[in-house]
Amino acid sequence: MKRRILIKNTLAGGAALAMAPWPLAASTAKTILRERSSHDFKHQFNAALPKQPKLLGFKNIAHDFARSELTIEGQLPKTLEGVFLRNGPAKHERGPCRLKHLFEGDGMVQRFTLRGGRIFHEGRFINTPKFAAEERAEQFLYSGPDTQIPNSLDVYNRDVINTANTSILPVGKELWALWEGGSPARLNPESLDFEQFIDLGEGSKHGKRLQGLPFSAHPKVDTNGDIWNFGLVDDGRLVIYQLAKSGKLKNLKLLHTEYQGGILHDFLITERHLLFILPSIKRRPSIKGLFASIQYDDALPMQVLVIDKHSLSLKRTFELAAGFAFHFGNAWEERDGTIRFDASLYPNANILGELSDVMRGHIKPQLSQSQSQSQTALFTLKPSGSIERVLFHNNSEFPRVSAAFTGRKNRYLYFTQALHNSFWGTSVARMDWQTQTQSHYFYGDDFMVEEHIPVSLNNEKEAQFVMGTALHIPSKRTCLNLFNANRLSDGPIMRAWLPYHLPLGFHGAFIASAT
Amino acid sequence: MNKPNRLLHLVCPALLLICSHNLNAEQLIFTIDGVASNQGKIYIQVFNGKDAYRSENAIAATIIPAIEGEVRANFADLKPGEYAVRYFHDEDGDGKLATNLLGMPTEGYGFSNAAKPNFGPVKYEAMKFVITEPITSNHSTVIY
Repeated sequence: MKRRILIKNTLAGGAALAMAPWPLAASTAKTILRERSSHDFKHQFNAALPKQPKLLGFKNIAHDFARSELTIEGQLPKTLEGVFLRNGPAKHERGPCRLKHLFEGDGMVQRFTLRGGRIFHEGRFINTPKFAAEERAEQFLYSGPDTQIPNSLDVYNRDVINTANTSILPVGKELWALWEGGSPARLNPESLDFEQFIDLGEGSKHGKRLQGLPFSAHPKVDTNGDIWNFGLVDDGRLVIYQLAKSGKLKNLKLLHTEYQGGILHDFLITERHLLFILPSIKRRPSIKGLFASIQYDDALPMQVLVIDKHSLSLKRTFELAAGFAFHFGNAWEERDGTIRFDASLYPNANILGELSDVMRGHIKPQLSQSQSQSQTALFTLKPSGSIERVLFHNNSEFPRVSAAFTGRKNRYLYFTQALHNSFWGTSVARMDWQTQTQSHYFYGDDFMVEEHIPVSLNNEKEAQFVMGTALHIPSKRTCLNLFNANRLSDGPIMRAWLPYHLPLGFHGAFIASAT
Repeated sequence: MNKPNRLLHLVCPALLLICSHNLNAEQLIFTIDGVASNQGKIYIQVFNGKDAYRSENAIAATIIPAIEGEVRANFADLKPGEYAVRYFHDEDGDGKLATNLLGMPTEGYGFSNAAKPNFGPVKYEAMKFVITEPITSNHSTVIY
């Protein structure tokens, strides 16, 4: 028989082996019968689809989109060459199951190639290990943050169900598809094939110690090229990353916070600080499902954590009135230390439930006085501790600024707008902070407008163009639109039509061709 | 946990085991597949019952060389009863299960009955098995 060797270090792994890989996510308890199953979601969604045409944007996508050429209306400027990439969830159904939350579907990259006055599109599912296994099995194999799949395989670490479905980040010559619960996914920039989950500690003093750590989908690229990002840990800790523009780790910190919200989507940088704005939400662990368990708490102030960029330590905190936000456009700091930032601020977190409701075919009705729209808010945090908030009643989302102004004072803020209190954006708009006026272009109530991004060429700081996609409901087609950034309200200078529709996605990036 | 304590946990059951050698005649053959490389060793611990598992009080332990594919460890002289096994593949040779900054394993590990964590730690109930026969086999696949 084998020697009975009792080595003192044998137990060293004990604590780690007993640890929960992801205590936050869906409970493993057997699904209660009364609860709506993923089968019910599919049935209800498909029953509602003929009556609610806007559900088209949340329909499942079965296959990749092969390369096709778009039909151009207007003129594509010859100077504008490159690729416009977008990411978002697209695999919402397999077999009889439909996922219960919009955030759960496998990511798909949409690539628009602008070249020689022509535009081509292709769409590729991100072939993560999860996607590949489920594609082979022709069914969902893993439960997600909210959806319980019967007899699902074990989720023993976060990357097992990493869908890479939220945003896309060019890093040097690489392309990273980002989720927020796990590692960045490296894609082949040509074929868009999934290559591997990135180990951010590789080549650093951390070795393998950063494997599988959460890396969020809203990194901020500083004026020197450094990439700042964070990841939220279940217990409220924040992993803070500073990467060089090559993607190599420069600095990292694990910061303890009291935050129990369960999700944190975005953050901000200024010249000297990182800002974490913690919304007024708290998980109720007795409720199954990550997103389903998040409760808005009016009594909980939004907290701003101001982190020093060099030491990565907490410098001070501010408390704002209760609120919720996914997205922030930009922040900057003035000479006297005054910090200003904008948010697409919701009066509650109902949107989290609404993004589950659409998955079962319920679109929030158009209300004359919507109770859950987000508004552009400009916050001013004075060194004295005083706080000002200016609210613009504009139903804004997906705020973006020209890349050169990230963390520096920006004059313009670009965003989408849901006019007439529609559920999804119907306009693209620009705020001019100097004059505090807005301009916009209204696509129409029969469009669902996705994130639009400012594009600047030739090292210009201000954007010359604004680019974005919109889904035209009556014709069931998606179009790519290009605007003169300074004349948004004139409407698109170019619109290019796909012969089909794309699933509504989240975030994109434009990579100009090297000149 | 400090080192003297850790030693105590391991040494005491070992002494017990030696003293009661003749009363315990059952044998456990524990097979591990999915070993990723020939690098390093596999550290295996056997626990007799839930309390022993919870208090990390192993009744037997062994270290075997890692061999890509499948490895097997034999434990003799176990008394009939309920058991659980856990192990890790120490590829970097430091005698510890490497973890990331959050405490999640970054080296291979596993449990009896091929139990896996699922949105949480592996429950003892998922890894327990009973030894009644003279020779009992159990199997696991390494989780990397």
